[in-house]
Amino acid sequence: MLTPSIVILAVISMVPFFYMIYASLMNYTVNPDQPTFYQLHNWVSILRDSTYWHSWERTAIFVIIGLAVELLVGTGIALAIYHIPKGRNLIVTLWMLPLFVAPIVTGLLGRFLLNTTYGMYAWFLQLVGIKTDILGTTSTAMPAIILMDVWEWTPLITIIVLAGLQSMPEEPLEAADVDGANYWAKLRYVILPLVSRTIVVALLIRSMDILRYVDTILITTEGGPADSTKTIGYYLVQVAFQFQDFGRAAAIGFTMLIVSIFLGRTFIRIFARGEQ
Amino acid sequence: MPPKFFFKPTFDTYRQMFSSTGNFGHYLWNSVVASVLSTIISLVLGTLGGFALARGNFKRESDLSFWVISTRMAPIPAVMLPLYLMFSKLGLIGTMTGLVFAYTTFNLPFALWIMMTFFRDIPPALEEAGMVDGCSKFEAFWRVTLPMAAPGLVATGILCLMFAWNDYSFASVFTGQSTQTVPVAASLLVSQEGVQWGQAMATGTIIILPMVIAGIFVRKYLVRGLSMGAVK
Repeated sequence: MLTPSIVILAVISMVPFFYMIYASLMNYTVNPDQPTFYQLHNWVSILRDSTYWHSWERTAIFVIIGLAVELLVGTGIALAIYHIPKGRNLIVTLWMLPLFVAPIVTGLLGRFLLNTTYGMYAWFLQLVGIKTDILGTTSTAMPAIILMDVWEWTPLITIIVLAGLQSMPEEPLEAADVDGANYWAKLRYVILPLVSRTIVVALLIRSMDILRYVDTILITTEGGPADSTKTIGYYLVQVAFQFQDFGRAAAIGFTMLIVSIFLGRTFIRIFARGEQ
Repeated sequence: MPPKFFFKPTFDTYRQMFSSTGNFGHYLWNSVVASVLSTIISLVLGTLGGFALARGNFKRESDLSFWVISTRMAPIPAVMLPLYLMFSKLGLIGTMTGLVFAYTTFNLPFALWIMMTFFRDIPPALEEAGMVDGCSKFEAFWRVTLPMAAPGLVATGILCLMFAWNDYSFASVFTGQSTQTVPVAASLLVSQEGVQWGQAMATGTIIILPMVIAGIFVRKYLVRGLSMGAVK
């Protein structure tokens, strides 16, 4: 029963993977029908390419700040919902609605609301004296992109952490109550250690996903202004489909895969521990 | 100009989009076909494979599971590129087949993995009982285990549909004029000269609405699906 799915999975994952390694060793620009062997030129060229490194830097900022905000807000809201005695389900349902929104629509909405002529957010910002075009200014474009990601994905952290909270054993909490621990002590020494594995799982899933999608950037800033929102994923799309330098794009793609493979390995290790 | 809090709603934009002059109905159809087909393929193969993974005893099982996860979680741009090069050689750019294939690259490993976690929760003793009563191995799976995994199967199917329906990146590269999906149509409304916000927002609403309804329907399984089964 396993054979057909494994064969098809091999075709859709292994073949493209090896094709990408092959492409990264070819000169795949001038005549895409007949790529010629290019040794390690693509590899050397990305290592020397300052935009490549700049894109990783923007990616790091996007990922680290985005994940930190999502983790703090998501866990905080999970704790708040956990302590609500009634109507928890309704609140969770409303809070998780952004998860179903296509990233492209999130981007469209962000662009619409921040539009300096019609946008409602832009209008509120103008009231408090901020008249800049948020998505068109280097210092504010990245924070705006991060906020769109936070809006869409914080609920994921919340529902994962909430599931962890709801499956906590009751005894340690009762024991802490008997010992007269206050809420902060309980949170610090009982609750957080009990849900730490769940929080790590949530973080790993989010970090793989945040590298996975480029839709929001594609529809809002297209990497600009002045490359300030050019993450590595967007740079790959640009090198491949705008500059048509497929060989170099393949080398970039390979380095992206390495990072997500590392995250996947960690996830599997934690997953296997939880299954036992 | 301050925003108005009282306004007169109008459905003119929607009417316009679905009128005979627009191609919107066609794009909607493309979206439905691509996501439904890739979901069916992924569910059938994923259920059979997931069952085998859950019950079988494999050497190097962790390598296998790691492979499945990394296929699902690979960054989309890094998957798109080799597929694009291969599709151009095979003449699959701009075809429905190409798009369905592209969606299956993430839906199949997802279905395989999640169905495995659902099957692991069902005790194998039940199938063994069925086999003692004279079922074949496949009959035991079909008549005993699969009905018990049905809610999980439905939830997996809806999530697969959602991942494909919400995709923009793959569709923007792999589709042509006649195979455009709704998200691509939405993006074209704002990237061309003179942004048409009314239509863009109406299109966005049509993309979101069915998924919000479906999502609420499977909310019980959402955590499990979106955490790749690591949290139940």
